Amino acid sequence: MGKINVNSNAYIITYSVVMVVIVAILLSVAALGLKDRQDANILNEKKTQIVKALGHNPEKVSYEDAKITAYILDKEGKVTSSDEKEVFEALNKIKDSFAAGKFPVFEAEDGSVVIPLYGAGLWGPIWGYLALEKDMNTIKGIVMDHQGETPGLGAEIATAAYQANFVPKELDQKKKIYNANGELVGITIVKAGKGVAGNKAHEVDAISGGTKTCDGVTKMFENSLKYYEKYLKTKMNPGTELQPLVPVNEEQKQLAEGETTEVNEPEQPAENGEVINKK
Amino acid sequence: MSNLKNLTGPLSANNPVIVQILGICSALAVTIKLEPAFVMGLSVMVVTAFANLVMSLLRNGIPSRIRIIVQLVVIAALVILVDQVLKAFVYDVSKQLSVYVGLIITNCIIMGRVEAYALGNKPWASFLDGIGNGLGYMAILVIVAFFRELFGSGCLFGIQVIPDSFYAAGYSNMGIMLFPPMALILVGVIIWVHRSFKKDLQEK
Repeated sequence: MGKINVNSNAYIITYSVVMVVIVAILLSVAALGLKDRQDANILNEKKTQIVKALGHNPEKVSYEDAKITAYILDKEGKVTSSDEKEVFEALNKIKDSFAAGKFPVFEAEDGSVVIPLYGAGLWGPIWGYLALEKDMNTIKGIVMDHQGETPGLGAEIATAAYQANFVPKELDQKKKIYNANGELVGITIVKAGKGVAGNKAHEVDAISGGTKTCDGVTKMFENSLKYYEKYLKTKMNPGTELQPLVPVNEEQKQLAEGETTEVNEPEQPAENGEVINKK
Repeated sequence: MSNLKNLTGPLSANNPVIVQILGICSALAVTIKLEPAFVMGLSVMVVTAFANLVMSLLRNGIPSRIRIIVQLVVIAALVILVDQVLKAFVYDVSKQLSVYVGLIITNCIIMGRVEAYALGNKPWASFLDGIGNGLGYMAILVIVAFFRELFGSGCLFGIQVIPDSFYAAGYSNMGIMLFPPMALILVGVIIWVHRSFKKDLQEK
């Protein structure tokens, strides 16, 4: 070693090339070797979040237990694919999928649906899964996540404690995404005490110090829900011109029929009436 | 200098954060809560230790003109490895740390120790020096995060410790604790307390 001039140009170039190649090989091997585990983690996490949005405890109820059917919808709300692998691939690149007109949706056995949300926070993307009751209006549950929001401030949107604000226990306080006129209004995150009077069913309190992230959440609702507007309308009033959804299999047909009867139950209008009265 | 001193020195007398004043930036960013602060400290320790080890092994063959680049490549490779391993085996923790894992590359402590120590010392001593500095960094992060999480959100490791009766009696969390300037002030207070015990560190 002592004989080699470590500061000659030839040595420096050889040294850099060898070093870069070794590091590249090392990192590629590590990345390839760990990829399967990482992908499995990511897929598992998505499934867990969907189950969580539906209000199950993911430690007790797995995605498979929850009997969820996954679909891809087009702009008109029609099912274009029901291949689970394809749906999760679309979910992985949700931003591109939204742009390409592929909208994943997850239907649970009891008629509630889970819709993916995607938007921008302060530092990076934020996303979530919104579960709606079978009336396609009342929020059943929500799971939100983020890439790099500030811990303790914007990152609080990912905590169960904050997400509980979207799902109040009291029946008459439930958050809804449609207003009394049947317009899709989504959910607005407002500073405590700054809400519009009578609009409480469509508002959730913001996190102090996390205003930008909360604005992002409001936008995320607005932008993501609009893609599903037609689908939600169809599910809400089966029998309109968009029906039938071209049932993929017999099971779904039954599901659709089941809902027709449920919507006609007197319980439903009563609940809506309540909201109007509150206004 | 004995090897043991490499390990214990950076904990107090030669602490990277409060004596060498390195790594302040990340100390401000990740100390809002204890858990990320703790895992961040651990990751930095692993990277510092192995960067020191690798650089010490290579120290006689590195052309001095490109040594900073070589250090960067080694550190960056280690950080990516740590990130990949975290993602594969402890996915939850890796998600908690998100961008901060990548930011370990820019942590001044790692490059500072490689430059100042590993390039001139034997591998085992350098490895211990890395562990020691990582521990010293983690200690300060945990102290700062303890106060910020306790007074800022009333929790420790995400579990509420300030009883509800306090809040009922009019106590409220200090929002300012959650902002970076408060971390800087806390680090300042720690330096002050530390120097009042260690008189030899006081400047004349």
